Amino acid sequence: MTGQAFFVLTALAGGPRHGYGIVGEVAELSGGRVRLKIGGLYGVLDRLAAEGLIEPDREEAHDGRLRRYYRLTRDGRGALAEEAEVHAAAARVVRARLGLTGLTGPAGAGAAG
Amino acid sequence: MSRGLERRYRRVLRLLPGYYRDKWEQDMVAAFLDSWLTGDPYDDECILEVCKPTWPEVASVVALAARLYLGGAATPRRYFAWGQAVRRAVLAVLLVHAVLGLEVLVRTAWSRRLFGVPAPPAILAVAAHGGVWPTVYDLVNVAWVVIFVTLALGHYRTARVLAVLAIVPGLAALLQAQITGIMPAPFGPWAWWVLFSLAPVLAMAAFHSDAPPAARWAWLLALPAGYVLVFGPVLTLLATGNAAWLPDWPGVCCLLVALACLVHAPRAWFRQAGASGVWSLTLTLLAAVVGAYRIVTLTAYQHDPHLMAVSLTELLILVAAAALVAPDAARAQKATAAPPYPGTIAA
Repeated sequence: MTGQAFFVLTALAGGPRHGYGIVGEVAELSGGRVRLKIGGLYGVLDRLAAEGLIEPDREEAHDGRLRRYYRLTRDGRGALAEEAEVHAAAARVVRARLGLTGLTGPAGAGAAG
Repeated sequence: MSRGLERRYRRVLRLLPGYYRDKWEQDMVAAFLDSWLTGDPYDDECILEVCKPTWPEVASVVALAARLYLGGAATPRRYFAWGQAVRRAVLAVLLVHAVLGLEVLVRTAWSRRLFGVPAPPAILAVAAHGGVWPTVYDLVNVAWVVIFVTLALGHYRTARVLAVLAIVPGLAALLQAQITGIMPAPFGPWAWWVLFSLAPVLAMAAFHSDAPPAARWAWLLALPAGYVLVFGPVLTLLATGNAAWLPDWPGVCCLLVALACLVHAPRAWFRQAGASGVWSLTLTLLAAVVGAYRIVTLTAYQHDPHLMAVSLTELLILVAAAALVAPDAARAQKATAAPPYPGTIAA
Protein backbone atom coordinates (compact mmCIF):
# COMPACT_ATOMS: atom_id res chain seq x y z
CA MET A 1 0.00 0.00 0.00
CA THR A 2 1.40 3.42 -0.95
CA GLY A 3 1.73 6.21 1.60
CA GLN A 4 -0.98 8.21 -0.16
CA ALA A 5 -3.43 5.28 -0.13
CA PHE A 6 -2.69 4.71 3.57
CA PHE A 7 -3.49 8.33 4.42
CA VAL A 8 -6.65 8.35 2.26
CA LEU A 9 -7.95 5.23 4.02
CA THR A 10 -7.04 6.75 7.38
CA ALA A 11 -8.93 9.94 6.46
CA LEU A 12 -12.01 7.85 5.61
CA ALA A 13 -11.71 5.84 8.82
CA GLY A 14 -13.01 8.93 10.61
CA GLY A 15 -16.22 8.90 8.55
CA PRO A 16 -17.36 9.48 4.95
CA ARG A 17 -15.74 12.41 3.14
CA HIS A 18 -15.91 14.05 -0.29
CA GLY A 19 -12.88 14.57 -2.56
CA TYR A 20 -11.60 17.90 -1.29
CA GLY A 21 -12.49 16.92 2.27
CA ILE A 22 -10.10 13.98 1.93
CA VAL A 23 -7.33 16.31 0.69
CA GLY A 24 -7.76 18.53 3.77
CA GLU A 25 -7.96 15.61 6.18
CA VAL A 26 -4.83 13.96 4.73
CA ALA A 27 -2.89 17.21 5.04
CA GLU A 28 -4.00 17.51 8.67
CA LEU A 29 -3.32 13.86 9.55
CA SER A 30 0.17 14.02 8.06
CA GLY A 31 1.02 17.33 9.69
CA GLY A 32 1.19 18.94 6.23
CA ARG A 33 3.76 16.44 4.89
CA VAL A 34 1.36 14.82 2.39
CA ARG A 35 -0.38 17.34 0.16
CA LEU A 36 -2.47 15.48 -2.40
CA LYS A 37 -3.09 17.09 -5.77
CA ILE A 38 -6.57 16.45 -7.15
CA GLY A 39 -5.16 14.42 -10.08
CA GLY A 40 -3.19 12.27 -7.64
CA LEU A 41 -6.16 11.90 -5.28
CA TYR A 42 -8.45 10.49 -7.97
CA GLY A 43 -5.72 8.12 -9.13
CA VAL A 44 -5.65 6.76 -5.56
CA LEU A 45 -9.48 6.74 -5.17
CA ASP A 46 -9.91 4.91 -8.49
CA ARG A 47 -7.49 2.21 -7.40
CA LEU A 48 -8.97 1.86 -3.90
CA ALA A 49 -12.49 1.63 -5.37
CA ALA A 50 -11.33 -1.01 -7.90
CA GLU A 51 -9.80 -3.00 -5.04
CA GLY A 52 -13.07 -2.78 -3.11
CA LEU A 53 -11.50 -0.88 -0.19
CA ILE A 54 -13.77 2.19 -0.52
CA GLU A 55 -17.24 2.80 -1.94
CA PRO A 56 -19.55 5.75 -2.57
CA ASP A 57 -21.56 6.73 0.52
CA ARG A 58 -23.94 9.47 -0.66
CA GLU A 59 -24.22 12.57 -2.83
CA GLU A 60 -24.99 16.04 -1.50
CA ALA A 61 -25.74 19.24 -3.39
CA HIS A 62 -23.43 22.08 -2.39
CA ASP A 63 -23.57 25.49 -4.14
CA GLY A 64 -25.12 23.87 -7.20
CA ARG A 65 -22.53 21.10 -7.40
CA LEU A 66 -22.86 17.50 -6.41
CA ARG A 67 -20.36 16.30 -3.84
CA ARG A 68 -19.91 12.56 -3.70
CA TYR A 69 -18.87 11.14 -0.35
CA TYR A 70 -16.82 7.97 0.06
CA ARG A 71 -16.56 5.54 2.95
CA LEU A 72 -14.41 2.58 3.90
CA THR A 73 -15.74 -0.88 3.11
CA ARG A 74 -15.30 -3.79 5.50
CA ASP A 75 -12.29 -4.91 3.40
CA GLY A 76 -10.90 -1.38 3.50
CA ARG A 77 -11.14 -1.31 7.28
CA GLY A 78 -9.34 -4.66 7.45
CA ALA A 79 -6.62 -3.57 5.00
CA LEU A 80 -6.05 -0.37 6.94
CA ALA A 81 -5.83 -2.24 10.25
CA GLU A 82 -3.30 -4.66 8.72
CA GLU A 83 -1.23 -1.81 7.33
CA ALA A 84 -1.35 0.04 10.65
CA GLU A 85 -0.10 -3.11 12.38
CA VAL A 86 2.80 -3.33 9.92
CA HIS A 87 3.69 0.30 10.65
CA ALA A 88 3.37 -0.26 14.39
CA ALA A 89 5.58 -3.36 14.25
CA ALA A 90 8.20 -1.45 12.27
CA ALA A 91 8.04 1.42 14.78
CA ARG A 92 8.51 -1.03 17.66
CA VAL A 93 11.64 -2.45 15.98
CA VAL A 94 13.05 1.03 15.41
CA ARG A 95 12.36 2.08 18.98
CA ALA A 96 14.00 -1.07 20.29
CA ARG A 97 17.07 -0.54 18.10
CA LEU A 98 17.34 3.04 19.31
CA GLY A 99 16.97 1.97 22.92
CA LEU A 100 13.72 3.89 23.30
CA THR A 101 11.54 0.97 24.43
CA GLY A 102 9.25 2.04 27.22
CA LEU A 103 10.15 5.70 26.90
CA THR A 104 7.35 8.01 25.89
CA GLY A 105 8.69 11.42 24.99
CA PRO A 106 11.68 13.51 23.95
CA ALA A 107 12.69 13.99 27.60
CA GLY A 108 12.77 10.23 28.10
CA ALA A 109 14.65 9.78 24.84
CA GLY A 110 17.21 12.32 25.97
CA ALA A 111 17.64 10.53 29.26
CA ALA A 112 18.15 7.25 27.41
CA GLY A 113 20.88 8.80 25.25
CA MET B 1 -24.69 26.34 -16.55
CA SER B 2 -20.97 25.99 -15.99
CA ARG B 3 -18.94 29.07 -15.08
CA GLY B 4 -15.52 30.17 -16.40
CA LEU B 5 -13.38 28.32 -13.87
CA GLU B 6 -15.45 25.15 -14.15
CA ARG B 7 -15.23 25.28 -17.95
CA ARG B 8 -11.46 25.65 -17.73
CA TYR B 9 -11.18 22.64 -15.45
CA ARG B 10 -13.37 20.57 -17.75
CA ARG B 11 -11.12 21.55 -20.65
CA VAL B 12 -8.04 20.32 -18.71
CA LEU B 13 -9.85 17.08 -17.83
CA ARG B 14 -10.35 16.35 -21.53
CA LEU B 15 -6.75 15.10 -21.38
CA LEU B 16 -8.06 12.03 -19.56
CA PRO B 17 -9.43 8.96 -21.40
CA GLY B 18 -13.20 8.96 -21.97
CA TYR B 19 -13.93 5.94 -19.76
CA TYR B 20 -12.19 7.65 -16.85
CA ARG B 21 -13.97 10.99 -17.40
CA ASP B 22 -17.33 9.24 -17.40
CA LYS B 23 -16.50 7.85 -13.99
CA TRP B 24 -14.72 10.71 -12.22
CA GLU B 25 -15.12 14.03 -14.05
CA GLN B 26 -18.01 15.39 -11.96
CA ASP B 27 -16.19 14.53 -8.75
CA MET B 28 -12.92 16.00 -9.89
CA VAL B 29 -14.50 19.28 -11.01
CA ALA B 30 -16.30 19.57 -7.67
CA ALA B 31 -13.03 18.92 -5.80
CA PHE B 32 -11.12 21.45 -7.90
CA LEU B 33 -13.77 24.12 -7.30
CA ASP B 34 -13.92 23.30 -3.57
CA SER B 35 -10.20 24.01 -3.41
CA TRP B 36 -10.87 27.60 -4.59
CA LEU B 37 -14.21 28.69 -3.20
CA THR B 38 -14.39 30.53 0.10
CA GLY B 39 -18.14 30.64 0.82
CA ASP B 40 -18.19 34.44 0.42
CA PRO B 41 -20.57 35.17 -2.52
CA TYR B 42 -18.64 38.20 -3.81
CA ASP B 43 -15.20 36.53 -3.62
CA ASP B 44 -16.54 33.33 -5.16
CA GLU B 45 -18.10 35.26 -8.04
CA CYS B 46 -14.71 36.83 -8.84
CA ILE B 47 -12.90 33.52 -8.45
CA LEU B 48 -15.28 31.70 -10.79
CA GLU B 49 -14.91 34.37 -13.46
CA VAL B 50 -11.21 35.18 -13.26
CA CYS B 51 -9.17 32.29 -11.85
CA LYS B 52 -7.52 29.56 -13.90
CA PRO B 53 -6.28 26.07 -13.07
CA THR B 54 -2.78 26.30 -11.60
CA TRP B 55 0.22 24.65 -13.26
CA PRO B 56 0.68 22.07 -10.47
CA GLU B 57 -3.01 21.10 -10.89
CA VAL B 58 -2.60 20.77 -14.65
CA ALA B 59 0.60 18.79 -14.12
CA SER B 60 -1.23 16.39 -11.78
CA VAL B 61 -3.88 15.79 -14.47
CA VAL B 62 -1.20 15.31 -17.16
CA ALA B 63 0.56 12.77 -14.91
CA LEU B 64 -2.73 10.97 -14.32
CA ALA B 65 -3.47 10.96 -18.07
CA ALA B 66 -0.04 9.49 -18.89
CA ARG B 67 -0.61 6.80 -16.27
CA LEU B 68 -4.05 5.94 -17.70
CA TYR B 69 -3.15 5.97 -21.40
CA LEU B 70 -0.02 3.89 -20.71
CA GLY B 71 -2.15 1.58 -18.62
CA GLY B 72 -1.17 -0.90 -15.98
CA ALA B 73 -3.26 -3.15 -13.80
CA ALA B 74 -7.05 -2.93 -14.07
CA THR B 75 -7.17 -0.61 -17.10
CA PRO B 76 -9.18 -1.21 -20.30
CA ARG B 77 -7.56 -3.60 -22.81
CA ARG B 78 -6.56 -0.94 -25.32
CA TYR B 79 -4.69 1.19 -22.78
CA PHE B 80 -3.05 -1.82 -21.16
CA ALA B 81 -1.80 -3.06 -24.55
CA TRP B 82 -0.32 0.37 -25.33
CA GLY B 83 1.21 0.62 -21.86
CA GLN B 84 2.87 -2.78 -22.22
CA ALA B 85 4.06 -2.01 -25.76
CA VAL B 86 5.58 1.31 -24.72
CA ARG B 87 7.27 -0.27 -21.68
CA ARG B 88 8.79 -2.99 -23.86
CA ALA B 89 9.81 -0.48 -26.55
CA VAL B 90 11.55 1.66 -23.92
CA LEU B 91 13.37 -1.38 -22.57
CA ALA B 92 14.40 -2.31 -26.13
CA VAL B 93 15.78 1.17 -26.86
CA LEU B 94 17.59 1.22 -23.54
CA LEU B 95 18.96 -2.22 -24.39
CA VAL B 96 20.50 -0.72 -27.55
CA HIS B 97 22.10 2.05 -25.48
CA ALA B 98 23.33 -0.53 -22.98
CA VAL B 99 24.83 -2.70 -25.74
CA LEU B 100 26.70 0.39 -27.01
CA GLY B 101 27.89 1.03 -23.44
CA LEU B 102 29.03 -2.56 -23.10
CA GLU B 103 30.97 -2.14 -26.33
CA VAL B 104 32.87 0.81 -24.80
CA LEU B 105 33.74 -1.33 -21.77
CA VAL B 106 34.77 -4.38 -23.82
CA ARG B 107 36.87 -2.45 -26.33
CA THR B 108 38.57 -0.42 -23.59
CA ALA B 109 39.34 -3.54 -21.54
CA TRP B 110 40.56 -5.39 -24.64
CA SER B 111 42.75 -2.51 -25.82
CA ARG B 112 44.37 -2.22 -22.40
CA ARG B 113 44.68 -6.02 -22.14
CA LEU B 114 43.09 -5.85 -18.69
CA PHE B 115 42.47 -9.57 -18.25
CA GLY B 116 45.62 -10.83 -19.91
CA VAL B 117 43.86 -11.25 -23.26
CA PRO B 118 45.93 -10.94 -26.46
CA ALA B 119 46.10 -7.46 -27.95
CA PRO B 120 43.30 -6.68 -30.44
CA PRO B 121 44.02 -6.10 -34.14
CA ALA B 122 45.16 -2.51 -34.67
CA ILE B 123 41.88 -1.57 -36.35
CA LEU B 124 39.88 -2.59 -33.25
CA ALA B 125 42.15 -0.99 -30.65
CA VAL B 126 40.80 2.05 -28.85
CA ALA B 127 43.30 4.89 -28.87
CA ALA B 128 43.79 6.60 -25.52
CA HIS B 129 42.20 10.00 -25.82
CA GLY B 130 42.10 13.01 -23.59
CA GLY B 131 39.69 15.89 -23.37
CA VAL B 132 36.42 16.40 -21.59
CA TRP B 133 33.91 15.40 -24.29
CA PRO B 134 35.38 11.96 -25.14
CA THR B 135 35.55 11.12 -21.45
CA VAL B 136 31.97 12.31 -20.83
CA TYR B 137 30.86 10.39 -23.94
CA ASP B 138 32.38 7.15 -22.61
CA LEU B 139 30.94 7.69 -19.13
CA VAL B 140 27.45 8.34 -20.49
CA ASN B 141 27.65 5.24 -22.68
CA VAL B 142 28.58 3.12 -19.69
CA ALA B 143 25.87 4.81 -17.59
CA TRP B 144 23.24 3.42 -19.99
CA VAL B 145 24.22 -0.10 -18.90
CA VAL B 146 23.41 0.90 -15.32
CA ILE B 147 20.15 2.60 -16.38
CA PHE B 148 18.99 -0.43 -18.37
CA VAL B 149 19.78 -2.87 -15.55
CA THR B 150 18.14 -0.58 -12.98
CA LEU B 151 14.95 -0.32 -15.06
CA ALA B 152 14.81 -4.06 -15.78
CA LEU B 153 15.15 -4.75 -12.05
CA GLY B 154 12.17 -2.49 -11.33
CA HIS B 155 13.89 0.55 -9.75
CA TYR B 156 11.88 2.92 -11.89
CA ARG B 157 12.53 6.18 -10.10
CA THR B 158 16.31 5.69 -9.98
CA ALA B 159 16.37 4.71 -13.66
CA ARG B 160 14.36 7.82 -14.59
CA VAL B 161 16.68 10.18 -12.70
CA LEU B 162 19.83 8.60 -14.17
CA ALA B 163 18.34 8.64 -17.68
CA VAL B 164 17.51 12.35 -17.45
CA LEU B 165 21.11 13.03 -16.37
CA ALA B 166 22.46 10.80 -19.16
CA ILE B 167 20.73 12.65 -22.01
CA VAL B 168 21.88 16.11 -20.93
CA PRO B 169 25.52 15.81 -22.15
CA GLY B 170 24.24 14.65 -25.55
CA LEU B 171 22.06 17.73 -25.84
CA ALA B 172 24.94 19.99 -24.75
CA ALA B 173 27.26 18.41 -27.34
CA LEU B 174 24.63 18.84 -30.07
CA LEU B 175 24.03 22.47 -29.18
CA GLN B 176 27.77 23.15 -29.12
CA ALA B 177 28.22 21.47 -32.52
CA GLN B 178 25.26 23.38 -33.95
CA ILE B 179 26.45 26.73 -32.66
CA THR B 180 30.10 26.26 -33.69
CA GLY B 181 29.10 24.83 -37.09
CA ILE B 182 30.85 21.47 -36.69
CA MET B 183 27.73 19.28 -36.89
CA PRO B 184 28.77 16.19 -38.88
CA ALA B 185 25.34 15.76 -40.55
CA PRO B 186 22.40 18.15 -40.72
CA PHE B 187 19.66 16.14 -39.00
CA GLY B 188 20.93 12.67 -38.08
CA PRO B 189 22.46 13.48 -34.66
CA TRP B 190 19.38 15.49 -33.65
CA ALA B 191 17.07 12.69 -34.81
CA TRP B 192 19.07 10.16 -32.77
CA TRP B 193 18.89 12.34 -29.65
CA VAL B 194 15.17 13.11 -29.99
CA LEU B 195 14.01 9.61 -31.00
CA PHE B 196 16.36 7.46 -28.96
CA SER B 197 17.22 9.61 -25.94
CA LEU B 198 14.51 12.18 -25.25
CA ALA B 199 11.48 10.12 -26.36
CA PRO B 200 12.38 7.00 -24.33
CA VAL B 201 13.08 9.11 -21.24
CA LEU B 202 9.63 10.74 -21.57
CA ALA B 203 8.07 7.35 -22.26
CA MET B 204 9.54 6.04 -19.01
CA ALA B 205 6.38 7.58 -17.51
CA ALA B 206 4.84 4.22 -18.50
CA PHE B 207 6.80 2.61 -15.66
CA HIS B 208 4.44 3.58 -12.85
CA SER B 209 3.40 1.73 -9.74
CA ASP B 210 0.48 -0.04 -11.50
CA ALA B 211 2.74 -1.33 -14.30
CA PRO B 212 3.38 -5.07 -14.18
CA PRO B 213 7.03 -5.87 -13.45
CA ALA B 214 9.31 -6.59 -16.42
CA ALA B 215 10.49 -10.12 -17.15
CA ARG B 216 13.77 -9.17 -15.55
CA TRP B 217 15.93 -12.21 -16.31
CA ALA B 218 14.93 -12.29 -19.96
CA TRP B 219 15.82 -8.61 -20.34
CA LEU B 220 19.09 -8.95 -18.43
CA LEU B 221 20.14 -11.92 -20.56
CA ALA B 222 19.28 -9.88 -23.65
CA LEU B 223 22.23 -7.57 -22.85
CA PRO B 224 25.09 -10.05 -23.50
CA ALA B 225 23.01 -11.72 -26.24
CA GLY B 226 22.41 -8.35 -27.94
CA TYR B 227 26.11 -7.53 -27.71
CA VAL B 228 27.08 -10.79 -29.43
CA LEU B 229 24.33 -10.39 -32.04
CA VAL B 230 25.32 -6.84 -32.99
CA PHE B 231 29.03 -6.57 -32.32
CA GLY B 232 29.98 -10.15 -33.21
CA PRO B 233 29.40 -9.50 -36.94
CA VAL B 234 30.56 -5.86 -36.70
CA LEU B 235 33.92 -6.68 -35.10
CA THR B 236 34.41 -9.63 -37.46
CA LEU B 237 33.85 -7.45 -40.52
CA LEU B 238 36.16 -4.77 -39.13
CA ALA B 239 38.93 -7.23 -38.18
CA THR B 240 38.82 -8.95 -41.58
CA GLY B 241 39.05 -5.69 -43.50
CA ASN B 242 35.48 -5.86 -44.78
CA ALA B 243 34.22 -2.68 -43.16
CA ALA B 244 32.66 -1.61 -46.48
CA TRP B 245 29.95 -4.24 -45.93
CA LEU B 246 28.81 -2.58 -42.72
CA PRO B 247 25.58 -0.60 -42.97
CA ASP B 248 25.54 2.79 -41.25
CA TRP B 249 23.97 2.93 -37.76
CA PRO B 250 20.40 3.74 -38.93
CA GLY B 251 20.76 0.81 -41.32
CA VAL B 252 21.83 -1.49 -38.49
CA CYS B 253 18.78 -0.38 -36.48
CA CYS B 254 16.47 -1.06 -39.48
CA LEU B 255 17.90 -4.54 -39.98
CA LEU B 256 17.72 -5.42 -36.28
CA VAL B 257 14.04 -4.45 -35.99
CA ALA B 258 13.27 -6.18 -39.30
CA LEU B 259 14.99 -9.33 -38.01
CA ALA B 260 12.98 -9.17 -34.78
CA CYS B 261 9.75 -8.81 -36.80
CA LEU B 262 10.64 -11.83 -38.95
CA VAL B 263 11.45 -13.96 -35.91
CA HIS B 264 8.16 -12.94 -34.26
CA ALA B 265 6.00 -13.21 -37.41
CA PRO B 266 5.12 -16.94 -37.08
CA ARG B 267 3.76 -16.33 -33.55
CA ALA B 268 1.87 -13.28 -34.77
CA TRP B 269 0.29 -15.22 -37.63
CA PHE B 270 -0.63 -18.34 -35.78
CA ARG B 271 -1.33 -16.73 -32.40
CA GLN B 272 0.31 -19.66 -30.62
CA ALA B 273 1.05 -17.55 -27.56
CA GLY B 274 -1.46 -15.34 -25.80
CA ALA B 275 0.94 -12.42 -25.42
CA SER B 276 1.99 -12.26 -29.10
CA GLY B 277 -0.17 -9.19 -29.77
CA VAL B 278 1.67 -6.93 -27.36
CA TRP B 279 5.01 -7.93 -28.88
CA SER B 280 3.59 -7.20 -32.34
CA LEU B 281 2.50 -3.76 -31.13
CA THR B 282 5.95 -3.20 -29.58
CA LEU B 283 7.72 -4.13 -32.82
CA THR B 284 5.40 -1.96 -34.90
CA LEU B 285 6.15 0.95 -32.58
CA LEU B 286 9.90 0.33 -32.83
CA ALA B 287 9.64 0.00 -36.62
CA ALA B 288 7.91 3.40 -36.80
CA VAL B 289 10.64 5.05 -34.70
CA VAL B 290 13.52 3.39 -36.56
CA GLY B 291 11.85 4.09 -39.92
CA ALA B 292 11.58 7.78 -39.03
CA TYR B 293 15.27 7.76 -38.07
CA ARG B 294 16.20 6.13 -41.39
CA ILE B 295 14.14 8.65 -43.36
CA VAL B 296 15.65 11.66 -41.58
CA THR B 297 19.19 10.38 -42.10
CA LEU B 298 18.60 9.90 -45.85
CA THR B 299 19.33 13.62 -46.21
CA ALA B 300 23.04 12.86 -45.64
CA TYR B 301 23.12 10.78 -48.85
CA GLN B 302 21.33 13.06 -51.28
CA HIS B 303 24.51 13.36 -53.40
CA ASP B 304 25.40 9.65 -53.23
CA PRO B 305 23.00 7.52 -55.32
CA HIS B 306 24.57 4.22 -54.18
CA LEU B 307 24.21 4.88 -50.45
CA MET B 308 20.76 6.34 -51.07
CA ALA B 309 19.71 3.12 -52.81
CA VAL B 310 21.15 0.99 -49.99
CA SER B 311 19.36 3.09 -47.36
CA LEU B 312 16.04 2.92 -49.22
CA THR B 313 16.42 -0.86 -49.48
CA GLU B 314 16.94 -1.06 -45.71
CA LEU B 315 13.82 1.03 -45.24
CA LEU B 316 11.86 -1.24 -47.59
CA ILE B 317 13.00 -4.36 -45.72
CA LEU B 318 11.90 -2.75 -42.44
CA VAL B 319 8.46 -1.79 -43.79
CA ALA B 320 7.89 -5.25 -45.30
CA ALA B 321 8.89 -6.98 -42.05
CA ALA B 322 6.73 -4.65 -39.94
CA ALA B 323 3.77 -5.31 -42.25
CA LEU B 324 3.93 -8.98 -41.23
CA VAL B 325 3.20 -8.18 -37.58
CA ALA B 326 1.05 -5.04 -37.96
CA PRO B 327 -2.32 -6.89 -38.25
CA ASP B 328 -1.61 -8.75 -35.01
CA ALA B 329 -0.63 -5.43 -33.41
CA ALA B 330 -4.03 -4.01 -34.34
CA ARG B 331 -5.80 -7.01 -32.80
CA ALA B 332 -3.75 -6.70 -29.61
CA GLN B 333 -5.56 -3.53 -28.62
CA LYS B 334 -8.78 -5.49 -28.19
CA ALA B 335 -7.39 -8.82 -27.06
CA THR B 336 -4.97 -7.98 -24.27
CA ALA B 337 -6.70 -8.00 -20.89
CA ALA B 338 -5.03 -6.16 -18.01
CA PRO B 339 -4.34 -8.08 -14.81
CA PRO B 340 -6.25 -7.07 -11.69
CA TYR B 341 -4.47 -5.28 -8.84
CA PRO B 342 -1.76 -6.15 -7.93
CA GLY B 343 0.01 -6.80 -11.28
CA THR B 344 0.84 -10.40 -12.05
CA ILE B 345 1.92 -10.43 -15.71
CA ALA B 346 5.54 -9.83 -16.70
CA ALA B 347 6.24 -7.04 -19.23
